[in-house]
Amino acid sequence: MGVIDLDGVEVRLANRIVLNNLTGELRGQAIGLLGPNGAGKSTLINTLLGFHLPSKGTARVFGLDTLKDRAQIRGGIGYMPENDSFIGNMSGVRFVRYMAELAGLPSGVALERAHEALFYVGLGEVRYRKVNTYSLGMKQLVKLAQALAHGPKLLILDEPTNGLDPVARQRMIQLIKDIRKEGSIRLLISSHLLRDIDETCDEVLILKNGRIASLCNIEEERRSNRSFMELETVGATERFSVSIRGLGCECATFPGGRIKLVIPDHIEARDLYVIAADQGVQIRRMNQRRDSLEDIFLRAMDNEQERTAHGSL
Amino acid sequence: MAVYKRNYTAYTGTVTPVGARVLVLARYAFEEAWSSKITVGLFILCLVPCLGSLLVIYLADNPIARALVGGRGQEMLAIDAKFFLKIQQTQSWLALVLASWIAPRMITFDLADNALPILLSHPISRFGYVFGKFIALFGSLSLVTWMPCLLLFVYQGYSSSQPWAMSNLQIAFGLLAGSVIWIAFLSILGLALSSWVKWRVVATGVIFAAVFVPAGVGAIVSAVLRTRWGLLLNVPVMMSNLWQRLLGAPAPINERFSVPTLAIAGMLSLAGLVCVGMLNKRIRAREVVRG
Repeated sequence: MGVIDLDGVEVRLANRIVLNNLTGELRGQAIGLLGPNGAGKSTLINTLLGFHLPSKGTARVFGLDTLKDRAQIRGGIGYMPENDSFIGNMSGVRFVRYMAELAGLPSGVALERAHEALFYVGLGEVRYRKVNTYSLGMKQLVKLAQALAHGPKLLILDEPTNGLDPVARQRMIQLIKDIRKEGSIRLLISSHLLRDIDETCDEVLILKNGRIASLCNIEEERRSNRSFMELETVGATERFSVSIRGLGCECATFPGGRIKLVIPDHIEARDLYVIAADQGVQIRRMNQRRDSLEDIFLRAMDNEQERTAHGSL
Repeated sequence: MAVYKRNYTAYTGTVTPVGARVLVLARYAFEEAWSSKITVGLFILCLVPCLGSLLVIYLADNPIARALVGGRGQEMLAIDAKFFLKIQQTQSWLALVLASWIAPRMITFDLADNALPILLSHPISRFGYVFGKFIALFGSLSLVTWMPCLLLFVYQGYSSSQPWAMSNLQIAFGLLAGSVIWIAFLSILGLALSSWVKWRVVATGVIFAAVFVPAGVGAIVSAVLRTRWGLLLNVPVMMSNLWQRLLGAPAPINERFSVPTLAIAGMLSLAGLVCVGMLNKRIRAREVVRG
């Protein structure tokens, strides 16, 4: 059973199809939800929370139907919305306690966990201040604290680093990594920032125009994709490139001794140095990189564009 | 999750029943409403007429006091349905003042800070949310309406030298039913209007306006169309008619201000339904943008 199962989910809002036939099973410990603005990320989250009803298909969270078992699903979810969402007139600790009690914790336990959650996210010193006096970063953290306090099984974070300065962003990312490392919570993180997802997630669902553009395990995808390398050489570049082609590499040479090559898995950088030494070629610079999430994302966007173009033809 | 360790641990304890979460909402709404000094001040103000009535009942059941006021005062000290109708009317209109202050506090804070997505992401339905707030508002208004009124009734029954309570049970029923209908109407009206107005002070004004402005419109309708059905927009007249009938008090001398009970019930139900529709439209975790 996956964390989230989507089976032909279609969501219409104001007679417009916002999510179109989403099908897939998400199993990762931390699942990233990527896509450009308006791709349907927040709508998918709202559907999982039972705020929107699918017009077709079914969505399941831990095997529970988002339509029939709404209350049960919500009991096991911690949700941190994208926009400001809190009760500004309450102190931080009272707000988090209130939310924990609504999630089902007895009053005394909720108070204890509220204090702990606020210390955990780093708001311990300001927990008695009213929420509307908090800075933007603090407000993000108090939303995270309320989502965590009741010990959910799935934590949904909608744009968690929105509006944060670099230091606050790094702190938020570190918190998310810590929660992931602890292991008892699955995470669903929606963002349009590739870096956030790259740093925190092991699986990614990429949406575009309400469709799934890609659903993949980031690590596996990186492993399965080819590695690119850029070399800057001095000496008999042409002969050197012929030799490395013989190893099974695809390569292209450029003026100034620059060579771009795609190396298969069984070839190591060391092999290139050996050939270079044999032929008296100096390797002045070597840049190796695997497929980044950005590559995966851009490829998914291209594929989706092609599919749309074919569809319109 | 120990504070000194500052690392996360999952919660493995028991959870409260889903049905009890409504009471959590009600408790927090109640605390929010009563955290204001103005609420406490208004509550004390609302109890002043009850204290006056208590004194009147004491004097009415005191032979020396009755002898002192003489024949003309006997009528003034008569404890009957008419006496309790006056108390109920006074308390009910004071309840409107209290409701117009409390209702916006319960709902506008949530709306102003966009708290609904977070609140409704918990195992609580939209109906549960509104019902929780309704319980808190209804409970607060009960403290100044049927509760003190029934206490006065009990005190009169206790202090009267004749067996008074059993022969006047309709008064007790009228006090309870009349107050419950009125505060239920006020609660749903207060919540519905507060959910559409973000600013508390404006919401307070709007609640007052919703009770009294239609009365003026109704008077114009009655005058222009030469009918008395315009009274169905006049909440004070409608409720006075209802309370008088429920308590069994003498009918008003001017028959022009009489409205059939069925029409009153229909009008209150219609207003209630409109309020429910307003709440249904407004209390949502997400707004759907049309277009």
